[in-house]
Amino acid sequence: MTMSTTSAGLEFHDVTVAYGRRPVLWNVDLTVPGACLFGIIGPNGAGKSTLLKAALGLVPLAGGEVRILGAPLEQVRGRVGYVPQRESVDWDFPVTVTDVVLMGTYARLGWLRRPGPRERSLAAECLDRVGLADVADRQIGRLSGGQQQRVFLARALAQEADVYFLDEPMAGVDARSQERIFRVLAELRAEGRLVVIVHHDLRSAGDWFDAVALIDMRLVATGPVAEVLTPENLRRTYAGRLDLLDEIGRAVAEGGRTP
Amino acid sequence: MVDDPFPAAWIPPYNTLVVAAGVASVGFAAGVVGCFAVLRRRALAGDAAAHATLLGVGLAFLLGGGRRDLPLLLAGALSTAIAALLGLVLIGRWTRTRDDAATAIVLGVSFGAGITLLSGISARGIPGSAGLEQFLLGHTAGLTAADATILGVMSLLAVGIVALFLKESTLVAFDPLFAAASGWPVTLIDYALVVLVAVMVVVGLPAAGAVLVTALVVIPPVTARQWTDSVGVMLPLAGIFGLVAALSGVAVSSAVPRMPTGPLVVIAASILLTISLLIAPRRGGLARWLQARRTVAAWADGRLLEVALRLDSDGPFTREQLLAKAPGVAADSAFKRLVRSAALEPVVTRAGTDAWRLAVWGRELAAERSRRVAAWTEVLEAAREDARGHLTIDVPSPEAILGAARMKAIRESAAAERGAGEARPGQPGQPGQPGQPGGGAGG
Repeated sequence: MTMSTTSAGLEFHDVTVAYGRRPVLWNVDLTVPGACLFGIIGPNGAGKSTLLKAALGLVPLAGGEVRILGAPLEQVRGRVGYVPQRESVDWDFPVTVTDVVLMGTYARLGWLRRPGPRERSLAAECLDRVGLADVADRQIGRLSGGQQQRVFLARALAQEADVYFLDEPMAGVDARSQERIFRVLAELRAEGRLVVIVHHDLRSAGDWFDAVALIDMRLVATGPVAEVLTPENLRRTYAGRLDLLDEIGRAVAEGGRTP
Repeated sequence: MVDDPFPAAWIPPYNTLVVAAGVASVGFAAGVVGCFAVLRRRALAGDAAAHATLLGVGLAFLLGGGRRDLPLLLAGALSTAIAALLGLVLIGRWTRTRDDAATAIVLGVSFGAGITLLSGISARGIPGSAGLEQFLLGHTAGLTAADATILGVMSLLAVGIVALFLKESTLVAFDPLFAAASGWPVTLIDYALVVLVAVMVVVGLPAAGAVLVTALVVIPPVTARQWTDSVGVMLPLAGIFGLVAALSGVAVSSAVPRMPTGPLVVIAASILLTISLLIAPRRGGLARWLQARRTVAAWADGRLLEVALRLDSDGPFTREQLLAKAPGVAADSAFKRLVRSAALEPVVTRAGTDAWRLAVWGRELAAERSRRVAAWTEVLEAAREDARGHLTIDVPSPEAILGAARMKAIRESAAAERGAGEARPGQPGQPGQPGQPGGGAGG
């Protein structure tokens, strides 16, 4: 389950997505190398989540194409893992933590086959990896936000994918969970996998990602963190969003600290 | 059949038994299939489909040349029920009408058309049309053993399909986005579930009628959800509740002449529901009320102790002094508990008729509580998400919950922040707060 070293992990070629007549992504042309932690960063409503959904085939493309591991999505669907936004599901749903993690194995099982001992031990292993072994049998509503996010991560681990897409995994998550999540993501990178993360917090971007893309409907800049998070690029991304000026100032100040 | 030991005299009870068995399996299947209608939030779509069945019954009656052939009438009912669901999908896709309005429109239009058609048929006095209005509110008295067998077999088929595709249905009901991303045909599974609900609505028509059959599909699952946190338990439990409701409704109506079964089935189901809403552990109203009371009491007890510690440093204090400094809804009963504790464990000691002192143990308790409150306030300040994830109203020790190392880091960052805040006055928003509220809507 390792990636070929020749092909890029993820490529967007002139991807345009529209909801109705209104474009949310505009000619995005972006290549993400393999085996790294890659952040997609931009203001609210910039189309970050839509970019992930475009890669996963969850929204129709108005134009352009996406290639994952050098192939169209349909050919590599089984090698792709996904962590949706935590708010996208009903946490009062009557399933346990283990039930949710097992869902990561469903695609491999296919129609009708139920998870067996192999899947159960894999689920237990994934839960252990995110530090939730002790709540395995709990109903998912009785977890903290950080624990819920880690359940989603464990489910993605159970997918045993080579490319992972995570939508705001750090939003509303306590520091201990954030550290745990980040450690697991770093392990995935060390195993040669690509991890693409939608992230809204500029300040922590430098700590976590190897490379980032700044998005505001169009691609503003992409590359290593220090090269991308420049005052000029941030101004171009967040222009006109006065409420974020403070945040930009801080990110710039911190960006100056890193060489 | 030559040696049949139960000759003619046994035929009526045999018929009754078959009808009872048929109705029982209809109730069971309605509960099971209804679980996914409820979990996937399709209950109202099911109601629209149910109201559309009358139109199909009338059309099938006319097409069949006035025969009251149950399978034919139910086939008609199913076709208009599915047409109604299709209408819902089309309205949702091609117009900007919202879901709830679309449902109300489809329900109203199809029910109106159905009633008009049935009234027209009965006004013309077409022979055989006398019993058609029974589909409105349900009536099982006229069911033959053959009819009931068909209903029962269809019900068991529906249960079988749900059991077979339990994994897929649960996945799509819980997280359709993830299901689609991992390659499952979510729309297909969704449509299959809705069609299954339509089938159950049609099969339930003789028992509960078009107006009330949705109750048979929706109420048992909601009842079952009160008692369990697992889909695997919820399904059979909802089935059993549905079975009990359907059977008792039919039994009572058979004892009362010309009583439609639908309302009785619904009454039986809602009795089970009411009991469950009240007394189920954890989710029940009673349990929640007790929990709320305990929460208020725990907070009041803690507050009272804290204030008592402050007053105690100036010597004995009175009830009035204490309550004046610790106002709150439950302060009065908290004081009673505090005084009562004087006899059991020495939290306070009596120093006069209305004069109290904190005992050693009480002082320790109060000091620990003040320390925890202060520590959590610091966590709220410096690491809001940690507090949001772990703080509970009984104020647990933050070190025990977050770990001593994490608490130390939070204290240090809080101290650094205070220093920074003083150095840069007028800076809007403090740095160092991880995350942002509502930052999830990134698309």
